Amino acid sequence: MARTLMRFTGVGGQGVLLAGEIFAAAKIKTGGHGLKTATYTSQVRGGPTVVDITLDDDEIYYPYANDGEISFMLSVAQVSYDQFKKGVQDGGTIVVDPNLVKPSDEDRKKWNVIEIPIITIAKEEVGNVITQSVVALAIANTIMKPLDREVLIETMLSKVPAKVHDVNKTAYDLGEKYANEAMKK
Amino acid sequence: MATREVISSGNELSALAAKDAGCRFFAGYPITPSSEIMHELSDMLPEIGGACIQMEDEIAGVAAAIGAGMSGVRTMTATSGPGISLKAENLGLAQMTEVPLVVVNVMRGGPSTGLPTRVSQGDVAQAKNPSHGDYKSITLCAGSLAECYTETVRAFNLADRFMQPVFVLLDETLGHMHGKAMLPTEEEVKAGIVPRKTFDGPAEEYFPYGCEHDQPAVLNPMFKGYRYHFTGLHHDKKGFPTEEIETCRKLIQRLEDKVELHKDEIELYEEFNTDDAEILIVAYGSVSLAAKEAIRHLREDGIKAGLFRPITLWPSPAEKMRELAARIPKVLCVELNIGQYRDEVQRATGRLDINGLFKVNGRPISPYEIVNKVKEL
Repeated sequence: MARTLMRFTGVGGQGVLLAGEIFAAAKIKTGGHGLKTATYTSQVRGGPTVVDITLDDDEIYYPYANDGEISFMLSVAQVSYDQFKKGVQDGGTIVVDPNLVKPSDEDRKKWNVIEIPIITIAKEEVGNVITQSVVALAIANTIMKPLDREVLIETMLSKVPAKVHDVNKTAYDLGEKYANEAMKK
Repeated sequence: MATREVISSGNELSALAAKDAGCRFFAGYPITPSSEIMHELSDMLPEIGGACIQMEDEIAGVAAAIGAGMSGVRTMTATSGPGISLKAENLGLAQMTEVPLVVVNVMRGGPSTGLPTRVSQGDVAQAKNPSHGDYKSITLCAGSLAECYTETVRAFNLADRFMQPVFVLLDETLGHMHGKAMLPTEEEVKAGIVPRKTFDGPAEEYFPYGCEHDQPAVLNPMFKGYRYHFTGLHHDKKGFPTEEIETCRKLIQRLEDKVELHKDEIELYEEFNTDDAEILIVAYGSVSLAAKEAIRHLREDGIKAGLFRPITLWPSPAEKMRELAARIPKVLCVELNIGQYRDEVQRATGRLDINGLFKVNGRPISPYEIVNKVKEL
């Protein structure tokens, strides 16, 4: 497998960090290497946050994504979208929550912009806004396919309390469903 | 060596190392980007009969840790640069009284409160001389997730061997990055613990500071029937203040020599592709990760670059640096400060033509920046 670089962006407090840890851990479980780095501001809640995920079969040294090499980005906040989109390679995929992020026409020409209402799915269909990171995880894996879905789900469940396993499984399934529908468009 | 795979962050691995290395007391005051160390230990230590205390500030944190060290327990505090600034006076006390202690500094942008959530290596010079007076710093610097663990373990053993504070420098990138680390097993770490020396003769013959010219004090744990005195003043073999000329000279010379004459027990470094190198990059901490990636790219382009990575920053592996610089024409220091270690590389190698790639805006140095700089040389 060549190196996969993914970027999740949001604002502090949304839980984008956890999705990165799950991806890295799942890749490591399969015998490869995975690294997650997070960059955030000293503004704890509300500041732009970016999580870079690097997955590779070979050892990874530098833990951050180089600008222009990211193949997938997911964003749930305009401020972070604006600040971090430049890292995505031309023709790369950017998933945004259309209620929170408004990409320009220029952006839509440069990148494959996919709109999925991530927060609304978590809040209204899953019934718990905290599950947005799992919805995002499912979307990223469904579109990019860096990892076997069963390994990823198993890793995700190992990181959340048992009493919320069902709700997180639902979140994953819904994320997967919306991603598949969005790709058909 | 048996190994175990752990998926974690640098800060969490440093905390795990402390527990495995026998640390049973932590006192500190949380500060970004080091807080996870205290957070982890606040869970771990009470479970195994230890204690973790959040004090009222950084000064009290190190003071409590030194007190625990005096009582004979393996002890630690963790902070970032602003915290070290506050702890400096007490760190001098620990140097003078020869109290072992591990101090982890997860570096962030400075000076002052600087850039709290951003990466830096601005505390390298501070670690050499955090407080006034003559003594020799022992400062280790992790360059990978695994080393956040192994260097913390090593720091505990060195602290007890040399009876003084030992710094472990991490940086924001290493502290917070999350991935796989191959670690020695807990059993192996436990088997490697060498506790501090103690005196078991008659109490009237016990002189904690009456040791050989190149050896550290022998401080028996308190409340075991051996009475002695701690002071930051120059002191005699029993620990009581003195201004006697020879005693004062010998004491300070011994603080220097106990480290300087045993550097071989402390020095550690990594060489990466240096055998045939025509360009030597000197980097440490998280920057060395970018340097390794850069060297991969440079070698693909036919440029023979190699990396020298000091793991022990102080005392520096000076002789090794001199040897490499004598045969490799171009040397480039890459640091997240303005050449704090380049000064040492220049001193060690006797060369003033050491190039630098420095960054102080809180952002990491990317492999491509290093590649471009090397190609300019």
